[in-house]
Amino acid sequence: MTSVVTAIVLLPRNLAVLVLRGYRAVISPLYGDVCRYYPSCSAYTLQAIQQRGVVIGSALGLYRIIRCHPWAKGGVDDVPPLRRARYRLTPFGFVVAASHGKG
Amino acid sequence: MEIPFIDTILWPIKWVVELILVAWHWLWTAIGLDPAAGLTWVLSIVGLVLVVRAALIPIFVRQIKSQRKMLEVAPQLKKIQDKYKGKKDQFSREAMSRETMELYRRTGTNPLASCLPLLLQMPIFFSLFSVLNNAQKGAAGVGPLSADLGKQFGDATLFGVAPLHDTFIGAWNAGGPWQVMVIAGLMVVLMTASQFYTQLQIMAKNQSPEAKNSPMFRQQRILLYILPLVFVFSGVAFPLGVMFYWLTSNLWTMGQQFLVIRNMPTPGSEAAKAREERLARRGKLTGKDTPAIEAAPETPKTTQRQQPVSKNRAKKQGGKK
Repeated sequence: MTSVVTAIVLLPRNLAVLVLRGYRAVISPLYGDVCRYYPSCSAYTLQAIQQRGVVIGSALGLYRIIRCHPWAKGGVDDVPPLRRARYRLTPFGFVVAASHGKG
Repeated sequence: MEIPFIDTILWPIKWVVELILVAWHWLWTAIGLDPAAGLTWVLSIVGLVLVVRAALIPIFVRQIKSQRKMLEVAPQLKKIQDKYKGKKDQFSREAMSRETMELYRRTGTNPLASCLPLLLQMPIFFSLFSVLNNAQKGAAGVGPLSADLGKQFGDATLFGVAPLHDTFIGAWNAGGPWQVMVIAGLMVVLMTASQFYTQLQIMAKNQSPEAKNSPMFRQQRILLYILPLVFVFSGVAFPLGVMFYWLTSNLWTMGQQFLVIRNMPTPGSEAAKAREERLARRGKLTGKDTPAIEAAPETPKTTQRQQPVSKNRAKKQGGKK
């Protein structure tokens, strides 16, 4: 029961993960490396959405994209870490419920 | 384009796109072209590309400049690359990227263009798409494009039969005109060729040996051959007018890239070597352009004579050195 609820709760962000993975596989390489930060804007947005969901994750991503302009100094800029990770990532990047025992 | 949120964001960009289009249309009409002809509107789209890309030149120049400045940090960059030499696992690569980026930030030599130029072009593209889409219905634009002009734009035809708002798939479903399909097909070929050439130029000539060994490079090479597929799909679904924008933009990139690779190549790349040879042949190489990176840790010159030392002391000093 709870696993079904979790799956529904995580559905929007997993759809977003799929879209972003598609973008990173097909469109992103067309332009090569352009981002002045590490991780790149799309990788940052992907991580933010994985950790915090579509709404907050997209907002964080948008804020990062606004900061990525030619006059920015760039450098390392990670997603602000969560105090406690509630979910687990599959190798592809989908967000799933943390397996039991590991919590 | 029914999402009001996106429309609101695009509104100012649409307004500017329309203004530039109408201004060029006015100019072409003023020098005697037929205001309703397809050619006039295509030339207006070409003009739009020229304005947009010219506006992006300062950003591009800035990028080139910081690429030149990268020569100064080359020794530090090499140190990082040596540190991770031969380590191909994901974590090492990530750590290397982090250190490299941090070096760029510290020294203010970030050679990357940032995401802004791309992001700026995408709304322009979508705006043109929606302007053409509306024009197809004979609707007015959001600003300078009046209903009359909009209708004229949408109805403008190439060779008298191929409307600029028409798509390959639209013509296919309607059973014609076949000219639309031929023009769309031709543009797909031209677009693929220009993009292919640009990409090949960068990859074959303008990359340092380090970059050529990175996984990114291999990925780019695979993509080079998937790219035509992307163009075929978009070429089928996009209106001719939008395709003209894309094609002209591609051609601009090709020319710009050619000039850059010829005159300001990436240090250490084959293009840089070719440029040095060219300059040497003409006797113009001053040495200023190619500072010897290897010579950086030069031993300080002293006027003091090397003092003779006893065997014992020499041994001790040798250990220190």
